Amino acid sequence: MAYHPRENWDPARRRRLQSRREFLKQAAALGIALPGLGAILAACGDDSPGSAISLPIGTPDSPVTQPLSDANAAIASGLDAEAGPLRVYNWAEYINPDVIPLAEEAIGASIEVTTFFNLEESIQKLASGEVQFDVWFPTGNYISKAVAGELVQPLNHEYLPNLAANVWPALADPFYDGGSLYSVPYTVYQTGIGWRIDQVDDEDVLGLENPWDVFWNPKYKSITGLYDDFQETLTMAMFRNGVADPTNAGQNDIDAAADSLAELVDLMNIRYTIDGAYAGIPENRFGLHHAWSGDMIGSQYYYPEDQDPSVGRYAWPAKIDGSTAKGNIANDCMAVLKGAANPVLAHRFLDYLLDNDAALENFGWLGYQPPITSIDPDTLVADEWVLPDMGPAIVREDDFANPQGYVPTQLSPETEQAWNGAWSRAKGTA
Amino acid sequence: MPTNLPGAEVESVGERRWLWPAFAAPGVLWLLALFLVPFYAVLAVAMGRLDPIFQRAQPVWNPLQWNPAAFGDVFESLFGGPLGRTAIRTLVYVAIASALCVLLGYPVAYFVSRRAGRWRGMWLLLILAPFWINYLMRMMAWVNLLSPEGQVNSFLRWLGATPPDWLAGRHETVILGLVYGYIPFFILPLFAALDRIDTRVLEASRDLGAGPAQAFWRVTLPMSKQGVLAGVVIIMLPMFGDYYTPNLLSGSPRTLLIGNEIDLFINQSTSGGGRGAALTVVLMLFVAMLMVYYLVNISRTTTEARR
Repeated sequence: MAYHPRENWDPARRRRLQSRREFLKQAAALGIALPGLGAILAACGDDSPGSAISLPIGTPDSPVTQPLSDANAAIASGLDAEAGPLRVYNWAEYINPDVIPLAEEAIGASIEVTTFFNLEESIQKLASGEVQFDVWFPTGNYISKAVAGELVQPLNHEYLPNLAANVWPALADPFYDGGSLYSVPYTVYQTGIGWRIDQVDDEDVLGLENPWDVFWNPKYKSITGLYDDFQETLTMAMFRNGVADPTNAGQNDIDAAADSLAELVDLMNIRYTIDGAYAGIPENRFGLHHAWSGDMIGSQYYYPEDQDPSVGRYAWPAKIDGSTAKGNIANDCMAVLKGAANPVLAHRFLDYLLDNDAALENFGWLGYQPPITSIDPDTLVADEWVLPDMGPAIVREDDFANPQGYVPTQLSPETEQAWNGAWSRAKGTA
Repeated sequence: MPTNLPGAEVESVGERRWLWPAFAAPGVLWLLALFLVPFYAVLAVAMGRLDPIFQRAQPVWNPLQWNPAAFGDVFESLFGGPLGRTAIRTLVYVAIASALCVLLGYPVAYFVSRRAGRWRGMWLLLILAPFWINYLMRMMAWVNLLSPEGQVNSFLRWLGATPPDWLAGRHETVILGLVYGYIPFFILPLFAALDRIDTRVLEASRDLGAGPAQAFWRVTLPMSKQGVLAGVVIIMLPMFGDYYTPNLLSGSPRTLLIGNEIDLFINQSTSGGGRGAALTVVLMLFVAMLMVYYLVNISRTTTEARR
């Protein structure tokens, strides 16, 4: 078929070129058809959550011992250390850089640290089997999954004398990993509220029956932040709504928490960050923020030189006088990965970080407290490890027994999907 | 070609036709492989299943076993749901940022190509200097500059103004970040296009009575259209997937872009990897449509030029 040149005929290629108008018409037609495509794809697909494996979920009242198997046995005792280097996979900025050379000297090998942004990212990479690390830093509520998914190997306690000698007894034998078969504790922390007294009135936090309500106070619009962490923030919203046991909350409570958080977008111009407590408050980007206790202790190092760090404050709602609200208290762990190329070095590294002096040195930079019996919480302020006004951020062993303290446990797969959906709704994306 | 003319020892047209494509073929095949293989991997994740322990998205490589449920979820949310709002916001941000890049970058490119004289090299160096620093670090520098006690607000206070909180979830801050991050990518191809314009054409327009403004509007601007289009395409494509700029300069759900949604699904949830991969594929197809439009435009212009 022949065309006139005015009809976009290209004689060199002997074909008719598509005009811009025709291209745009076709694109518009495609755009009109696409919404219907969504319904067709949804009808063709299987949206069910899939058969998730039932995992032993430990609680403080019902501890679990993780299973052992011959296919994933601990290393033998008395082995020589490998040549290294030891590969450590840790949260960003979660170990004192000055402790690394000391640890290298102690274990007799070099150490390489790789960081992750959150546990979901780390699990994606570890579960793929494409990365090779020796040591990993999960939270306690991920240990069951890590064991079931064969990410971690059992520990040989003969390489870990500091575990029994130095660690708080309750965390040397935790409810999520009875006998510390697969993990040892690293740090302990509360989740509370951080603020600056030049931006926020103390009474607006400490005077509330439910201090979590301060995050819904329009007086602090545009200077308030929450953690960009779906478990922490949804739990906080549930505490604010009076839910006593978020891990086992029903769909109504989960939805109500999502709605409460979604409300904050317009009410408070809320922002979600991970560094808002330890860096945002000192830099005056926030006056009020969801805060891990360790972040607030460490925040003293992030104030500009010409500013006084004593403007920072912290409170854990579970310990505020007159408060009926609950607050999270938890610990992070260390584990040796299955298939680690340097398991003996890995054990030595874990044991080194449980050493009294090393743990205190690490704490001085990190801000997150190690559960070491030789560290007396009552001396941390006097010894200038913690600023006087940050005294409430010091975690004590008996805080884990506080009836208003809540130790988060592992979510079941169905619950986790429900929480993921709620988080998307809270951020206005679902 | 006639063989009795000087220089007639050149190769015949038939031999030349395969020579240059043959040089380009290995590189093209390599780039195709590096595009198609990752694209298939993302598609396999989008059409995959959740693993029973970690509930993370697992790829299914056999198309006969693909599950399109994630695409269904994404399309339903894009057309009439919250993802649709985010998509519109992304389009608006990218359109405004691109327009600002054109308005701010065109004079710079014109000056460097036409007026910089012997200082042209220095100006090009200054334009390229931001590339010496990682994009992330440049955005973090803006966090410091725009913080409540930062240099920008200190200057505004010195002027007697009440400075805003730039980092409190403001749309204009995110757009500013996009413009700052991508404007060098617009200026450079436009500079190349302007530099290629034959000055004799401009001289001819002046000889025919056109003033400087007329010469610009009727000669320079139309002849630089392809350069503008190339620059806009180069900056728009990565802007659509940008998520770090809103994260650093805002953090508010009000300024979430499509890139943030993908990050939310893949990195901040345990079971959203499939939807994140599906949204990635949808975004890639949309961006591909823009590329096709650009290529259609280039092809038409080249054909018209040959006539």
